[in-house]
Amino acid sequence: MDHLKSRKITRRQFIKGTAVALPLLSSKLPFYGSLAHAAEESDLVIAKNGSASQLLQAAMAPLGGMGRFIKKGQRVVIKANIAWARTPDQACTNNPDLLAALIKMCYDTGAKRVAVWDHTCDNYQFCFSRSGLKETAQKAGADIFSGHGRNSYKQVEVQKGKKVKTVEILRDVLESDVFINFPIPKQHFATELTLGMKNLIGIVWDMEQLHKIGLHQAIADINTIRKTDLVVMDAIRILTTNGPKGPGKTEDIGEVIASTDIVAADAYAAAFFKHPKTGIPFKPEEIQFVKNAYDLGLGQINLSKVRVKKVTAA
Amino acid sequence: MKKAIPYLRRTIQALSFFFLLYLILKTAFPLELKIPVDLYLRLDPFIGIITFLTKKEVILRMLPAFGVLLVVIIFGNFFCGWFCPMGATIDFFDRILFREKKGFKSFNDQSLRRLRYGIFMFSLVAGLMAFQVMYILDPISLITRTLIIAFYPPAIFVFNHFLPQMQHFLPQNSLIASTIPMPLFKVNLLIFLFFVIVLALGVIRKRFWCRYLCPLGTLFSFVSRVRILKRFVTEDCTHCLKCVKDCPVGAIPETNPQEYRQQDCVSCFKCLECPPEAVSFHFGLPRWRTVSGVNLSRRYVLGSLAFGAVSALMIKANPLQSESGLKNNRLIRPPGSLPEEEFVSVCTGCGECLKVCPNNALQSTLLEAGLAGLYTPRLVPRIGYCEEFCNFCGRICPTEAIRPLPIEEKRLLQMGIAHIDKTRCIAWDTEKICLVCNEQCSSQAIIGDDKKRPIIKEEKCTGCGICENKCPVDGESAIIVYASGVQKKLKPEDLNNNKNEVPPSPPRKEKS
Repeated sequence: MDHLKSRKITRRQFIKGTAVALPLLSSKLPFYGSLAHAAEESDLVIAKNGSASQLLQAAMAPLGGMGRFIKKGQRVVIKANIAWARTPDQACTNNPDLLAALIKMCYDTGAKRVAVWDHTCDNYQFCFSRSGLKETAQKAGADIFSGHGRNSYKQVEVQKGKKVKTVEILRDVLESDVFINFPIPKQHFATELTLGMKNLIGIVWDMEQLHKIGLHQAIADINTIRKTDLVVMDAIRILTTNGPKGPGKTEDIGEVIASTDIVAADAYAAAFFKHPKTGIPFKPEEIQFVKNAYDLGLGQINLSKVRVKKVTAA
Repeated sequence: MKKAIPYLRRTIQALSFFFLLYLILKTAFPLELKIPVDLYLRLDPFIGIITFLTKKEVILRMLPAFGVLLVVIIFGNFFCGWFCPMGATIDFFDRILFREKKGFKSFNDQSLRRLRYGIFMFSLVAGLMAFQVMYILDPISLITRTLIIAFYPPAIFVFNHFLPQMQHFLPQNSLIASTIPMPLFKVNLLIFLFFVIVLALGVIRKRFWCRYLCPLGTLFSFVSRVRILKRFVTEDCTHCLKCVKDCPVGAIPETNPQEYRQQDCVSCFKCLECPPEAVSFHFGLPRWRTVSGVNLSRRYVLGSLAFGAVSALMIKANPLQSESGLKNNRLIRPPGSLPEEEFVSVCTGCGECLKVCPNNALQSTLLEAGLAGLYTPRLVPRIGYCEEFCNFCGRICPTEAIRPLPIEEKRLLQMGIAHIDKTRCIAWDTEKICLVCNEQCSSQAIIGDDKKRPIIKEEKCTGCGICENKCPVDGESAIIVYASGVQKKLKPEDLNNNKNEVPPSPPRKEKS
């Protein structure tokens, strides 16, 4: 009996064994390994020069490609910025070409379903039609939803939140496998800038109430609820005055920024804008909510500590 | 064939009602239907005539209504019996609730029948004096208003209530259907009550409303006196009085069933079910004479006219608008509305604009605009704001009380001006950064000062009310839109203008 028992592998032995064997095995499969890990050479990629889809391709490659984030059959939610009933050229809403390219890339990687969400500020029907994003999303095969119905939300407790304790969040964002934040940087009078983290205000039911709580901390708190898997920042054309609703002055930056670190992405994008008083580009620390998010440990505010890569698309 | 006619008529009535319902449901966002969604109202000659009297000009959209009058001359008052959605509703409820017992004896309604002529003359005179409260009695306006204000919100409530429960049975995430924001209308109970009373009158007499009150029916009666399609009875009549009992509008006198009051007949052809088959309808020369018509004495006519005139004057002179009896500065009219006096006299209170407004911003007045402005639309920004790129209310108003303006013109129209209550504003009252109003403003009319507190630029404010709507302060907003009196056009905005640039403050004089 004793002899037989010792032949059996205990659970502990099995785990130990596999832990040793797995790296050995994977090193013997060079193709599989390189796809999964080797290409992850940066945390923040800035792609310049090129069409919308070229920019996206170029920005995603050094991050490890979309395959790093989306596995076959997963459900993807994209939080776009469709908050206002403005036309695409006014740069108050996302670039339709870039959204189409993003949705296409998700499906090409094997996503089962892609849903584009926003809780719009203006009436959603006018936002969706005037921004052209409804047509774009549906043509690309994605579902596009507006958060105007309260049944789409779920009350959650914000455990890490300093000021926001409970909040109603879009259920689809919480239940999705992959969550992509797709913001457009804009000037914003109350918070100086609208960047990636501020975009997540649009997954909240009582958006205006956050202003009452204290907007900067609220933005940081909301970002602790569901970690953004990937930030794709649409800086092809940005709004520099009269934000966030516009219409105002626009600037063609021509960049797409992809990152796994939302604070780093915001820290980088802050420099697109000039401080209204001094005229010097914003430092990340000057945007209070970026600072607050850094303090909550959501990401790295200091770009020198992040692996940044600049690429040209075309 | 003859037996099929009542079924055919009932089917057409039901279709007509559901078509109206369909049009009302389509009175919503894309508004791309080929037929005008306010079709029934445009075909209503009572509205056509009264608006002609009050506005002193023909409204193009109401022209088809006069075509209906021509058809009535040919076929008689077919509209009431076959197409009127209000008549269909009343018929339906009369049928299921107030079935007349076998031994029912009809009372002599000679004196009651002239009531509607009195109401009609009252309306004409009041209309001439640019006063239109009789629109509350117009059947098409009434049924549209009732469906929209009283029945649409409960329908949405039921939908919202059952939707999450339905979704339990569906596979997760396969279908995301959103609940619809509840439409809110303050006057819904009153309008529902009025509707119930109209239906309940059927207990006294079938189609009580149509016989004794409806002003549109009265107008059709006048015209169908000279109808060409007429009823004829041969000598075979046995005086069985079946037709007298069956007639839904009591147009056949009991004493003489071979005759009929052609003005009251709604051409339902029920009397064709005649046991000796003595009744037939065919074309004949029109004649004005009728049997046992109502006794419109000179005294009655003059009385009605004088009563109409005096009532119109009384109501016009009544200061019900606000608590002080003076101008109500919270009464913001929809964008493109005619000047207040004219607006009140032309608006039929049908509620189409209330339904089409994508933000539920338009509300029906009760007494806020005085009795003359009963059930007219007003913008209540705290409930909903006026959408910048929307001109739906002007596009569907059947009487053009809200003018159909192109979007570029409409979005620069000043309906009111916002004012900040600095004692309640989060930014002014506390040290928090709020500025929701600045963020939401479409026309850069709210700027922030150096401490990020909102300041209003009156010359740019359109009064759309998005700031009042989105203000996060509990209860009443801390930024409130007041009507600007006359709607005026603002200068187009300058895109290069930075709304957040604070104008340099004048240099302070040093104390000498």
